[in-house]
Amino acid sequence: MRSPSDLLAHSAMFSPALQTSSGSGGKKKLIYDQDHRGPLSTDTVATLMLLQADNIDLLGICTVSCDMWAKQETAYALRLLEIMGRPEVPVFMGAQEPLLNTKAEAQMRYQMFGSRSLGNEGYLGCFAKDAAGRDEVTPLPPPYNRFAQIKAQPEPAADFIIRTIRANPNEVTMYCGGPMTNLALAVMLAPDIVPITKEVIFMGGGIHHSTSSVNVYFDAEAAKIGFRAAWPKFTLVTTDLAEEVHMQDDGKVDAIVDRAHAPIADLFREYEQKPQRANPQRRSFRMPDEMMAAHAIDPSIFTGYDEMHIDIVTHNDGHYGDTSFWDANWKDQGGELAGQNNPSIKAGRVQVLNGIDKKRFRELFTDLMTRPINRSK
Amino acid sequence: MSTTRREFLKTVGAAIATSQIPPQPAAMATLAAPTALAPQQPVARRKVIYDQDNSGPFGTDILGTLMMLQADNIDLLGITLVTGDAWMKQEMAFTLRLLEMMGRTEIPVYAGAEFPMLNTKDEWQLRQQLYGGHRLDPWMGAFNRTNGGPNEIKPLPPPYDRLANLKAQQEHAARFIIKTVRENPGQVTVYAGGPLTNLALAIALGPDIVPLVHELVIMGTGFHMFTNAFNIFFDPESARKVLRAGWQKCSIVTVDIAEEIHESDEIAPGRKMIEEIASRAESPISDLFRTHAVEPLRRNPNMHFFRMADEMIAAQVIDPSIFTKSEQMYVDICTTPGPRYGDSMFWPKNWQDDPDAGKHSLSAADRRVFVNPRQFYLGPPPSAGLVNVLQEIDHDRFKKLFVDLMTKPIRNGMTEHSA
Repeated sequence: MRSPSDLLAHSAMFSPALQTSSGSGGKKKLIYDQDHRGPLSTDTVATLMLLQADNIDLLGICTVSCDMWAKQETAYALRLLEIMGRPEVPVFMGAQEPLLNTKAEAQMRYQMFGSRSLGNEGYLGCFAKDAAGRDEVTPLPPPYNRFAQIKAQPEPAADFIIRTIRANPNEVTMYCGGPMTNLALAVMLAPDIVPITKEVIFMGGGIHHSTSSVNVYFDAEAAKIGFRAAWPKFTLVTTDLAEEVHMQDDGKVDAIVDRAHAPIADLFREYEQKPQRANPQRRSFRMPDEMMAAHAIDPSIFTGYDEMHIDIVTHNDGHYGDTSFWDANWKDQGGELAGQNNPSIKAGRVQVLNGIDKKRFRELFTDLMTRPINRSK
Repeated sequence: MSTTRREFLKTVGAAIATSQIPPQPAAMATLAAPTALAPQQPVARRKVIYDQDNSGPFGTDILGTLMMLQADNIDLLGITLVTGDAWMKQEMAFTLRLLEMMGRTEIPVYAGAEFPMLNTKDEWQLRQQLYGGHRLDPWMGAFNRTNGGPNEIKPLPPPYDRLANLKAQQEHAARFIIKTVRENPGQVTVYAGGPLTNLALAIALGPDIVPLVHELVIMGTGFHMFTNAFNIFFDPESARKVLRAGWQKCSIVTVDIAEEIHESDEIAPGRKMIEEIASRAESPISDLFRTHAVEPLRRNPNMHFFRMADEMIAAQVIDPSIFTKSEQMYVDICTTPGPRYGDSMFWPKNWQDDPDAGKHSLSAADRRVFVNPRQFYLGPPPSAGLVNVLQEIDHDRFKKLFVDLMTKPIRNGMTEHSA
C-alpha cells in the first residue's frame, strides 16, 4: 500500500528515534491517559497512532471525563481496541468528575464572564448544556457497531498509574491527553512516583493563541497539582503549537481513506471525509493529541523547546484554569531589568515545544494510519 | 508504665467490659437518629473509621482518640492519618505508640495524605503577609515555623518514651476507607478530625461510597467565632469536595460550639476536671493528663487550654443525644486563594421562606434589600452541600461522658476481638 519512497523517507527519519528510545526491546513504556472521545476525534486519532507505532509499549489506557463522560469514553476505548485487534491492552476507567469543578458552576462562570475558548465556541466538553448525563452510555455508531466484549479493569486509573510507575522506575512516560485528574490523584496518593516517572507529556494552555484550553479549565486544580509536581521532565504542547496543523490540511484524509486498512479507513471515511465533502466550509480541528503522540513516538520531529515556568489560576471566576508562563532564565533575561519577572513561588517547570517539522509530522502521521493494522501477535 | 497497666488489667478481669457511661433515657429525643446509640443495648456497636491529624503528645486530637478507644459501644475499624496539626509521619509515630500503651494493637493504622491538595506553607505565609493574618491564634499546624519537614520524626516524650514496635498497614488510608465502606454498606460512621484530604481522595477514587456511609462527623467551619477553622483552611479544596458530596448525614462541630467548652478555663470545674482525671484514671491516661495537663497548669496557672473540638466529634459518635439542637444547613467553602481562602459560608435549608416571618426581624433599611427572596436570590450556590450543624450541647453530660471515659478501666481490645 505504500510507495517505496514513502518507506525510505520514513525509515530514514524513524531510525534515530528508535535508537534513542529506552525500555525493553527499544520500546517506550507508555501509560496513555486520555479523555477518549469517540467515534473519531483528536483523542481517538492519537490512540490509533500509538496503537500503530512499533516502538510504543502501551502499558494501559486510562480514561477521564472531559470531552465526554468517562463511562462513554471507556466504552469507545474498549471497542476500539477490539476492532483494532488489541484486546490485551488493559483499560482503566479514571475520574468521572473533576476534583472540584462542576457543570453548574462552569455554566454560570460562562454566563457571567463569557466564553473564552477558541472563536468563542465556549467548549465545555461533557459540561455542555445539552450533553448527556454522567452515567449515560449511548450505543456506538459504525464501525464500532456494538459494545465491546472485553471489560475495563476494576482498578481505578490512579491506582494503576501508581502501581505501574513504581514497578518500572524511571521507565514510564505518562501521556496525559485529557485533564490531569487521574495524575493529580496519583500524585496525592503517592508523591513518591514523581521523581521516578520518566516524562509527562501534556497538551493544554498557551501563551499567544489562548491562555487556556479545555484540558486545563475543565479541572484547574488537577492541572495545578500536575504542573507543580517536580517531574524529571514535563513536555507541553501548547495551543499555539497545536494550531499549526489541522486535520483537513495536514491529515491527508483522502489519502488515508484510500490507502488505510479497516477499521482506520472506515473511521476516516465516516467521520472526516464525509463531513468534509458535505460541508466544504467545515474547519477541522487542530491536531493537539496527534502532536503529543508524535512526541511520544518520535520526539525528533519537534525542532526545539523553551524551558519555562508555569502555574494555573484556580480562582472560581472568569480566569479559572488560565495558564501563566515565565521564562526559566528570568533571572538573567531583560538586561538591566533582569530578575524582575519572577514566576509564582510554586510554579512548575516545563519544556514548551516551540516548533514542529510539519512535513515529517505529516509523513509520520500518514504512515502510521496507512500501514497494516498492528494487531497483537 | 504499660507493664503496670497490664498487671492491673489482670486483676480487674472481666469487669472492664462494663460501660461507665450512665444511661440517659429519652431526654434528647429531638435529635436522636434511628441508629443513635441506645445505651440500654450493650451490643449495638457503631462501626467507626477514625480519620485524624493525630498530633501528640496531648491535646484535642489525642483526647478524641482516647475517647474512641475507651467507649464500649465503638468498634474502631481502623485509624487513618492525615497531615494537619502535625506531619502525617510524626502523627503515625504517636498513634502507633499510643495504641501500644493502651493495649489496642489490634486496631490497624493507615498512612494517608502527607500534603493538602493544593495548599503550601510558602503560599500560606505569603497570603498572611499580603492580606494579613485573619485568625485569633497563630496556629499553622504542620506548617508551623517550629515544625520540621514532612519526613522528620522527633522522639516521643513521656509517657510515650519510645517509638512503637507496632507498624502501620501498607495500604493507603483512602483505599482502606473505600474498601471498608463498601464491605459494610450503610454501617460505617466516619469520624474526620483533621483536614479532609483522605476523604476527598476516597470519594474521588470511589464516588460510590458516598451513599453507603452511615454518617460523617467532621470538625471545622464556623459562623461567629471565625468563619474559617484550621481543618478547613489547611486544605480548602478537599473540604469543599467532601462537604459538597451529598452524604446521607454529615454532622459538623463548628468552632462556635467547640469554643463553648475548654478543658481548663477560668471556671473552676475545668481545672477540677483535669485534676480528677489525673488522679482517678488508669495508666497511661493518668500519666498523659499528669504530664501534659496538670503539671503545665501548676507551672503556669494562667495557661489556657484549647477548646475541646475533637472530643465533641467523639461525643457525637459515641452518644449523639448529648447534642440538644442541630439544624440542616447548606455549607460551601471558598477556594479562591485570596484573603478568604478556606472560609465557610452557610445558608439556611429553608432559605426560600420569607425572612420577615418568624424570629428574623428586619429593619426598614434591611427590608429595602431583603424584600422578597424569590426576587433577590439569597440561597446557596448550586453545588453547596446540605449538612447537619450541631448547635447546642449539654455541657454537664458532655463533661460527664468525657470524665467517665477517661477514668473508667482501660478497655481491653484484644480479648474482645478474640471473643
